Amino acid sequence: MGSLTEARTSSDEGFLATRLDALINWGRKNSLWPMPLGLSCCGIELMAMIGPRFDISRFGAEAARFSPRQCDLMIVAGTLTWKMAKAARTIYDQMPEPKWVLAMGVCSSSGGMYDSYSVVQGIDSILPVDIYVPGCPPRPDAVIDAILKLQKKIERESPIKNLLAGTEVVEHEGTGVIRRQPNHAVERTELDRHPHSPAARETAVHFGAASPESLRGDDQ
Amino acid sequence: MTAPDPANAAPEAAVDTAPENPTETRVRAALDGLEVSFGAAQDAIVCVEFERELLHTVMERLRDSAGFETLTFVTCVDHLASTATEPRFEVVHQLISLAHGDRVRTRVRLTSDDATLASITDLWPGAGFMEREAYDMFGVRFEGHPNLKRLLMPEGYGHHPLRKDFPQQGIEPDRLYREWDRERRKDWNPKES
Ligand code: SF4
Repeated sequence: MGSLTEARTSSDEGFLATRLDALINWGRKNSLWPMPLGLSCCGIELMAMIGPRFDISRFGAEAARFSPRQCDLMIVAGTLTWKMAKAARTIYDQMPEPKWVLAMGVCSSSGGMYDSYSVVQGIDSILPVDIYVPGCPPRPDAVIDAILKLQKKIERESPIKNLLAGTEVVEHEGTGVIRRQPNHAVERTELDRHPHSPAARETAVHFGAASPESLRGDDQ
Repeated sequence: MTAPDPANAAPEAAVDTAPENPTETRVRAALDGLEVSFGAAQDAIVCVEFERELLHTVMERLRDSAGFETLTFVTCVDHLASTATEPRFEVVHQLISLAHGDRVRTRVRLTSDDATLASITDLWPGAGFMEREAYDMFGVRFEGHPNLKRLLMPEGYGHHPLRKDFPQQGIEPDRLYREWDRERRKDWNPKES
């Protein structure tokens, strides 16, 4: 069931706050109820993970709920298309704070092999992702490992401090207010730009077509 | 494998004048009097080619006179790269006769500036979805279709992705999402707008 370990060693927040943080984090990390967003083949592996053989109830995360109001952890398992992106974002917004996002499989992490017009090239362009799991599909063990790593991450959060100080408000592209910093560990350069990014789009040359407008259809 | 014995190979002209294929005989009888040509049979399936005005008549006769009672598919081919000639799109219909156990395929060429064709949803209601897909992916308009909307791509997408001049990675694939997102951000945070 995990332990009441001290979350941080620095003592600038006081004994009571750190103790309460530890208690709250202990509760949060051991009851990560997943929102199973099984979009394609990875969803099958997700089901195996929830089932008795791999059994994520050992880590307090077995209560998959199909109402976003009852979920803490959104597991995006599969290929997210731009058509589905609105639904995924709506589900994420309907989940109550605190909430975390796990990108399961290369499709949701980076678009994977679908370097295509219909697939979101990494769900981090519409959602703040906490943890990425590589694999096509990842084995259930890998996702369980990710959940354990996420538990470590939750241990290091300071809910009391955020509550008292007013949270650091981060505007994430998309909707309203997200209270955690999205993962910007990787610095992007000009060369890393994907053709889907707004900046690349302006300069893109589309296979000899005069302009994007010249290829536009007539139904809008 | 040895080279085919020239003595056993049937002369080409003989096939054209005296079709031994019973399917072709049936199709020729049903389409008698129409301006159709018989293309090279592929996959042992008889292929019929004609102008687009004839499509509805041909389909009706194939169904009612030649006994092809089931529609297999309606689809489209973009010949942009291979021919560079203007009848760029080729709409392909394939029918199957369960009673005779054979198939027939029809091809119609369309130009890109006027890619319209008669719908056959009145003959086979099941053609509806396939025509919607061909419209979505290639921009071929089927006249008389009761509900010609996009099938796979979101409405308002604005492009036809299986056309050969459409880039694989898309043109502004996130445009509709971003527009939707901007709208609802206004509800969340009225100060922004
Ligand atoms: S990562 Fe592989 S298994 Fe998972 S959804 Fe994508 S294609 Fe399917």
